[in-house]
Amino acid sequence: MTETPIVALKGVEKRFRQGVLALAGIDLAVAPGSFLSILGPSGCGKSTLLRIIAGLAPPSAGLVQYGESGVERRLGFVFQEPTLMPWASVWDNVYLPLRLAGQGRDAVASRIAETLASLGLEGFEKAYPRELSGGMRMRVSIARALVTEPRLLLLDEPFAALDELTRFRLNEDLLRLWQRHHWTVIFVTHSVFESVFLSSRIVVMTPRPGRLLADLPIALDYPRDAALRTAPRYVEECQRVSRVLSEAAA
Amino acid sequence: MSERLLRIGAPLAVGLLFLLGWEALVRLEQLPPYVLPGPIRVAEALWQDGPSLLGSLLVTLRITLAALAAAVILGGALAILFAQSRLLELSLFPYAVILQVTPIVAIAPLIIIWLKDQVFLSLLVCAWIVAFFPVVANTTLGLNSADRNLVDLFRLYGASRWQTLRYLRMPSALPYFLTGVRISGGLALIGAVVAEFVAGTGGTDTGLASRILEAGYRLQMPRLFAALLLLAATGIGIFAVLSWLARRLIGHWHESALPGEE
Repeated sequence: MTETPIVALKGVEKRFRQGVLALAGIDLAVAPGSFLSILGPSGCGKSTLLRIIAGLAPPSAGLVQYGESGVERRLGFVFQEPTLMPWASVWDNVYLPLRLAGQGRDAVASRIAETLASLGLEGFEKAYPRELSGGMRMRVSIARALVTEPRLLLLDEPFAALDELTRFRLNEDLLRLWQRHHWTVIFVTHSVFESVFLSSRIVVMTPRPGRLLADLPIALDYPRDAALRTAPRYVEECQRVSRVLSEAAA
Repeated sequence: MSERLLRIGAPLAVGLLFLLGWEALVRLEQLPPYVLPGPIRVAEALWQDGPSLLGSLLVTLRITLAALAAAVILGGALAILFAQSRLLELSLFPYAVILQVTPIVAIAPLIIIWLKDQVFLSLLVCAWIVAFFPVVANTTLGLNSADRNLVDLFRLYGASRWQTLRYLRMPSALPYFLTGVRISGGLALIGAVVAEFVAGTGGTDTGLASRILEAGYRLQMPRLFAALLLLAATGIGIFAVLSWLARRLIGHWHESALPGEE
């Protein structure tokens, strides 16, 4: 890798207060513009790793280095739950990061409209989260992460709770946006199919303590669309990754 | 539709039956009105003494509403203070509990002695002591129950302490706060009545509690019942207004205020 990584972890370790070792010896460099999936069985510390990258939790040992200055202030984070403010409309939920940055409503109106449109949320500006389906709520959550034009987008199993068709649609929309905006994505998931479909690179984690077991480039060309899901080369990649994941879980 | 009919009709029928049974009992047993007046006698008393009782009700209501306002403002402010500093919460909260669990009838004489010339103020303080705790306790809980992921998100975007309070903790606490206010509304009325029982308002500004005592001494049971009726109606009225207010404020998003699934 010749490019300076956008974020690099060196010997990252996380021990919880009760003494449980959650992560051990994580070395990982993420190239700018790549779509990296962190794949592993439940409870392997994927989410903890993502929180450490975001700066939401400090590592017990090791370093997190950002390649360009200011990246740590240009992060987008999408949680497993949509994590919307139930008292605020869709528009106000998406406005939140900009409001916290001190931006006025009028100044960012067009930017918010654009972001909402790119996620198919036109016409829902005034709706409240409880009026939306799970998939739509997740779209709002993604819109909120994207409205700040992040350099690095972190997603923590964002589609795990959605039905399959909704998940496929969101996967495709996410890929489309990624290709248009060239941000770097770190995507945590436990689904082989999802990670192969999305990623340019997959790292597989083992549980207790979480370690990186394998680093797999995915040699499928972009743009990828729904047709890929039935293509033999996609199935082959899934089988390859699946075998590694079973090793990790064993 | 039938559900709504049942909701209104069933308690109404029970009430009507109760009143009928009550009137029948009084007539059949020929109970004298100073032991138990029938509902018709009570209605008559309400009609005759209504204007003068309403004047007293106004006095009680003034204390109640002032105590509720003080409970809301001071209770809310105290809760926000608690949310800012864990140390402050840990050091002060036990005293709020002590103030809450000590029976007001036991403290009221002290307060009345200390504030001897200010009847209104001493009654207000008593009612406030009874009423303020639910606001403090509920609001503190609410401020601390903001969604953890949202707290993280605010941190990620570098939100200031004030921004987190204003845009996250306060809206999260609103339903809890409103529940506290609803409980406090009823307690403020109870506090106002109990304080007046202990203090006794002399002169012209007598509240409903004094009228109840006075009617009791004179064995004017119909008037006593009429005063009780007014108190109960006032309590229901306060609760209804506060519930309406809660629905107006959080009805569009909070579960508690949403209509059931059709």
